[in-house]
Amino acid sequence: MKKILLVDDEEGIQLLYQEEFQDEGYEVISAFNGEEALEKFRSEIPDLVILDIQMPGMNGIEVLRQMKMIAPQLPIILSTAFHEYKQDLSAWASDEFIVKSPDLESLKEAVRKHLG
Amino acid sequence: MPELRKDPVLGRWIIIAQERAKRPTDFIIAEAPVTGGFCPLCPGNENTTPPEVLAYGRPYGAPANTPGWQVRVVPNKYPALVIEGEIDRQGEGLYDKMNGIGAHEVVIESPHHDDIFARMDLDHMILVFHAFRARILDLARDPRFRYVLVFKNYGRAAGASLEHSHSQLVALPILPRMIVSELQGTLEYYNYKERCIYCDIIRQEIQQQVRVVCQNELFITMTPFAPRTPFEMWILPKRHESGYHNQDDQQLAALAAIFSETLNRLDACIPGVPYNFVLHTQPLHSENMKHFHWHFEIVPKLTSIAGFEWGSGFYINPMSPEEAAQYLRESLVKGPQEARP
Repeated sequence: MKKILLVDDEEGIQLLYQEEFQDEGYEVISAFNGEEALEKFRSEIPDLVILDIQMPGMNGIEVLRQMKMIAPQLPIILSTAFHEYKQDLSAWASDEFIVKSPDLESLKEAVRKHLG
Repeated sequence: MPELRKDPVLGRWIIIAQERAKRPTDFIIAEAPVTGGFCPLCPGNENTTPPEVLAYGRPYGAPANTPGWQVRVVPNKYPALVIEGEIDRQGEGLYDKMNGIGAHEVVIESPHHDDIFARMDLDHMILVFHAFRARILDLARDPRFRYVLVFKNYGRAAGASLEHSHSQLVALPILPRMIVSELQGTLEYYNYKERCIYCDIIRQEIQQQVRVVCQNELFITMTPFAPRTPFEMWILPKRHESGYHNQDDQQLAALAAIFSETLNRLDACIPGVPYNFVLHTQPLHSENMKHFHWHFEIVPKLTSIAGFEWGSGFYINPMSPEEAAQYLRESLVKGPQEARP
């Protein structure tokens, strides 16, 4: 079973995404901030990361750049409510940039594209 | 006593408000530390950018999108405007709107992550100016675009989101408001005097020698009479020319030389200062213009835009351009502490 590391500081998002992606047949592990995300990235070795940007402490862009240093080929999807982060060139390190929406289809499609 | 000054091209007013003699070092702003990590612009990571549209320096026959380049231009991976589609202008009652067609490209100025534009070898900096010219000429072939804006953000405070040295080009299907105003202002002056206002400014500044920062045979750097910020500078070709794309290799070499000197003088005054530069050139698909004169504007990020500026369009500048020019002229001779006029 493919493993997704879901990084988001909002509990509601975590619950929703966990349910949806488990239904899609993935194992989902959670991290609520950047430091926890990097720890689980190393210990759990996920197949894909869904990464929020605005979080307390390290933001998602910093986490993204650290993760890509460790595993450049591992797909990372930035998932944020803030469209303006598209203008941040550091976001280019990600494999997809998805603006959060109540309709999860574009996020699910991006996950399928990378995990099959 | 504060002084109001009017920009002779735009008619924009600014307030020179020198409450006390400020030294360049008084403007130093602490930049947020760079956290680093993976860089999508570094060689070896070409697969994290869209396929390049231009690259200089790779050996002949080497495949595209591989290391070995010196300057590389790529489309924006997450663009605000999209290149595909036809322009669709619409009205909504009295309002105008159109679909978001455009081209947004990033010029990766060096393969070295820590290179700083101001300190690049001249031969390398010339390649960057060649890249600007080549991309403007290529984008001009697209009849949908009316203008290519070239700009650079250096430093977080000036909007740079990644420390790897880069600049940007945006091709637009409309003329930016600032360019329209410059075209109108220069045309009004030309219709009245039958001379280019920038040519007149250059002549007067060389004669007066109070706002000239440095010059070479082909270019001049000066602080404008009504600058928006301390140490704002313009770089202009001495010979009248409305389009940057018409510059030959010799002119681009002289441009790189004066650009390097200008930025190094600025950095000597205020080490590490964040800045923006923009290229103002003639619109695409236009003939050579007798009234317009291409130039670069360099605007250090030293003051903030607040309610007064937003509401009035005025800028408040705490340092006169004459004083700034003197600091800049002396900056490479003496350190900023000793260079006080």
